[in-house]
Amino acid sequence: MRLSNIWCDMNQISFMLPRWPVSWDRRQRSSATIATASVALVLVLWLLAIPISWAPDPIGNNAQSFAEGARVTFGLTVIASLAGIVIGLLAALGKVSRVPMLRMIAGAYIWVVRGTPLLVQVLFAYFALPVLVPALKMTDFTSACVALAINVGAYNAEAIRAGLLAVPRGQIEAANSLGMSSRQTFLDIVFPQAFKISLPPLVNNIVGLLKDSSLAYAIGVVELTNAGNRIQSATFQPIPVLITTATLYLVMTSMLTQISNAIERRFDVEGKLA
Amino acid sequence: MNQPLITVKGVNKYFGNAHVLRDLSTHFNGGEVTVILGASGSGKSTLLRTLNRLEAHDSGTIIVDGIEVCDRLKDLDALRSEVGMVFQQFNLFPHLTVLQNVSLAPRRVRKTPRAQAEAQAMQLLERVGLVAHAHKYPFALSGGQQQRVAIARALAMQPRVMLFDEPTSALDPEMVKEVLDVMKRLAGSGMTMIVVTHEMGFAREVSDRVLFLDQGRVAQDAPPDQFFGGQQSERICAFLGQMAGRVFEDTQTHKEKANEDAPDPDQRSRGGVVCRNDACPCPVEQGDRRVAPGHQTTA
Repeated sequence: MRLSNIWCDMNQISFMLPRWPVSWDRRQRSSATIATASVALVLVLWLLAIPISWAPDPIGNNAQSFAEGARVTFGLTVIASLAGIVIGLLAALGKVSRVPMLRMIAGAYIWVVRGTPLLVQVLFAYFALPVLVPALKMTDFTSACVALAINVGAYNAEAIRAGLLAVPRGQIEAANSLGMSSRQTFLDIVFPQAFKISLPPLVNNIVGLLKDSSLAYAIGVVELTNAGNRIQSATFQPIPVLITTATLYLVMTSMLTQISNAIERRFDVEGKLA
Repeated sequence: MNQPLITVKGVNKYFGNAHVLRDLSTHFNGGEVTVILGASGSGKSTLLRTLNRLEAHDSGTIIVDGIEVCDRLKDLDALRSEVGMVFQQFNLFPHLTVLQNVSLAPRRVRKTPRAQAEAQAMQLLERVGLVAHAHKYPFALSGGQQQRVAIARALAMQPRVMLFDEPTSALDPEMVKEVLDVMKRLAGSGMTMIVVTHEMGFAREVSDRVLFLDQGRVAQDAPPDQFFGGQQSERICAFLGQMAGRVFEDTQTHKEKANEDAPDPDQRSRGGVVCRNDACPCPVEQGDRRVAPGHQTTA
């Protein structure tokens, strides 16, 4: 197979979907993909040291460090993205709220977080926050999670807000005219449609977050980039070490995209995705 | 005489500086089919939308079945579950199947158990002839089918009155009939209906009463025979002539059509519409023949 074909195949985000039995419908395929990709992700992270150890030195003999680094990176990403989606949803609701105070708070949050570097935010959470509020003295890992969650939350807020605003007014009117309360209208009508619209930009943010988690390096979290760089400075072999580091990021982002594409397909009732 | 189901008294509504409803008073009786006509911007859709508070009126009172239309949430929910509404753009929920669209509100608002709500929904879908499509998503349906689902969805709440806001205006011509047929059957079953439409045939045939709005006021309130048959108002005649003109514009520009149909240019009416039925008692003024819908043979 030519290299370009392989590349195409990797880029064919849905390469796992067509492998399911022909008789399965969209939902079954998407559920099967989500389940398989999630199990694969856990297995890969758990057993990652084994395939890495097959590589020649200086990679093989450092397999445990790489694997541990990847697990920390993934942990940061999962925790920060889950918290970030909750924060993003709250901030998006704040920004479209009818209460001026809430709009202002959400607006200020997004303004500050999007307007300052993530590295500064990570350093702030670790060094400045405990000085301001002594109770907020956290480990380096927790500080990184907090900074990343707050950062991605601001970007998620805008993605979710775009989705909320894209739901046509007529949908809300239809639900209201049926006597549904505003809570029911939001949960049953607005949110599912907004979520579907927000999904691609949210995935974009989460993939970005996985890579940006490398900034936790700055406060001493031994995530993948930090682990790789330690090996590099001990072995003086930057090429194989950095290629391994990059490859591990690529493996993780690819698996995340698998899951997110299957989720997207699950909501694709109109068959818009080819 | 029936007890008025809906009373509208002295209602005013502004959109910014535009005064869309001007001290409007009227009432709607139970079991009656009222068609609201009027030019674009005359306030007919706004009137309809104030009846279930999709638009808030600025002054005056609206009472629907004893409930005053206002912002008190408890009254509002009670009101809205008694008033069904069908929209021009259908507004079906695209992420839910047809069956879920119809059964959702009874399940959520009336707390009907799922199985029961779905059984009722299937009965309603049978009434509108769409049982075979129950498990499809709205995008897979034609416009006419979607609008019939929307009617079933509104009926699922067992409303006392149904509001139709230009229900056929977004449909391709060949789908208008299937929707109007459902509405006719609904009218035949005794449902109170208030219909904003440009379907003059429906207004003539089905309605008990025609309400003509002009600049936010009720300009005429008459039974359809009188409204279409013996129209005295020049303003309304002109409107009806234009409405009839729309029939031509769907196929050809009205100039071409008028030339083709009326060799004698004097017979062309002001709206470019010519009644081709010589026996028709259209009002004739100043050499113009203004045509009421149903009078011209192309309709």
